[in-house]
Amino acid sequence: MTARPAPKIPAKEDFMPTDFTMNDPQNLWKNQPTEAFKMSAEQLRQKSHQRQRKARFVAVKSIIAGFAVCGFFAFAFSKTHELILRLGWAVLSLWGIYLAYQAYKWIWPARLWPDAAFNTTLQAYKNELEKQRDYVQHIWKRAGLTFCFLGMAIAVMPMLIKTFVAPHLLLHWLPVAVLLAVWFAVFLPTRRRRQQKLQQEIEELRAFERGSQA
Amino acid sequence: MTQDSLYEQAAEAYGRALDRLARAYELDPEARRDLLQEIHFQLWSSFAYFDQRCSLRTWVYRVAHNIAAGHVIRQSRLREKLVTIENIETLPGSDHIELAASRSQAIERISTLIQRLKPIDRQIIVSYLEEMDANSIGEITGLSPANVAMKIHRIKNILKRWFGEANRGEGKTDDSKTGAENPGEGGLHAN
Repeated sequence: MTARPAPKIPAKEDFMPTDFTMNDPQNLWKNQPTEAFKMSAEQLRQKSHQRQRKARFVAVKSIIAGFAVCGFFAFAFSKTHELILRLGWAVLSLWGIYLAYQAYKWIWPARLWPDAAFNTTLQAYKNELEKQRDYVQHIWKRAGLTFCFLGMAIAVMPMLIKTFVAPHLLLHWLPVAVLLAVWFAVFLPTRRRRQQKLQQEIEELRAFERGSQA
Repeated sequence: MTQDSLYEQAAEAYGRALDRLARAYELDPEARRDLLQEIHFQLWSSFAYFDQRCSLRTWVYRVAHNIAAGHVIRQSRLREKLVTIENIETLPGSDHIELAASRSQAIERISTLIQRLKPIDRQIIVSYLEEMDANSIGEITGLSPANVAMKIHRIKNILKRWFGEANRGEGKTDDSKTGAENPGEGGLHAN
């Protein structure tokens, strides 16, 4: 819309409410059509229970998955008599228990989010970003990938030893090695890039916070 | 007061403001409805901890903004494209903006501006549009009132460029060009 050609400046009373609000973003914003949304106490309690139930279900599912991994490798352990292989299955079985423990520790529903009320937005925003950064940073530890790779390395050791006398057996391991290499090539840089971006934003907020306190 | 009665009181007094706040953080109507529900739910949950150390209004806005900011943070692709008020102020071509033809277009324009901002700046502009003063905004955001006033000054300049063009045709001066407007002053009115 172009500027209105108005030879005479209209008096305040001449403005219709619409003209007035068109030039006043605060008024315009506050007078936009809205809906007075409200939830009943019963709806709120129901939602609270639903949420707790859902979070518990996710946690239980992950714990069961951890125990299933543990059980699977424990079964493999019981069926093997070779010492090194047994050691590998034992480590992988422990990895299953570790997964279950991590699920209990991180997913089990605790308090909902009281921080939202006590923290200012700057703190809450920074905390949320830090939580995301920590998750990315410690994903290796939380998923117990050290246990997993160590267990696998020990378990494949006897088979690798056999390839010393029959090198053609190494070809059997090629697909697994390629998959592992691709996974590392994608996982590590992606993780580092995400971590850097989050860290950069956290630093910006910290500088902002320091500037605000000064 | 009980958790339920505090929620009743807050929903009664700030229900519409919360709806506007949700519009500032989510464009999609379905997702906005979910966000609004989440804000109400978290607000109700938070009243279990309400200790009256701050006013009900500050508490409500703090919870609502924090939940909404969390909503933005979780959309990491979108988050990376967001800019600050300072970025918008210095964008090339932001001086030559056509006036909105209708009221709904003007509201849409404000929403578009808000949706481009990072959560902290978004909170400041929404609180400013809700006619809060710098101290109250500072209490919610954690920024100093001086910092908030500086941001508001920039917001006013941007809004004046986007909404104050009509005044020029009527022989009014544009303060944003002369820098005559001080932070903390009110008027963007045509009268």
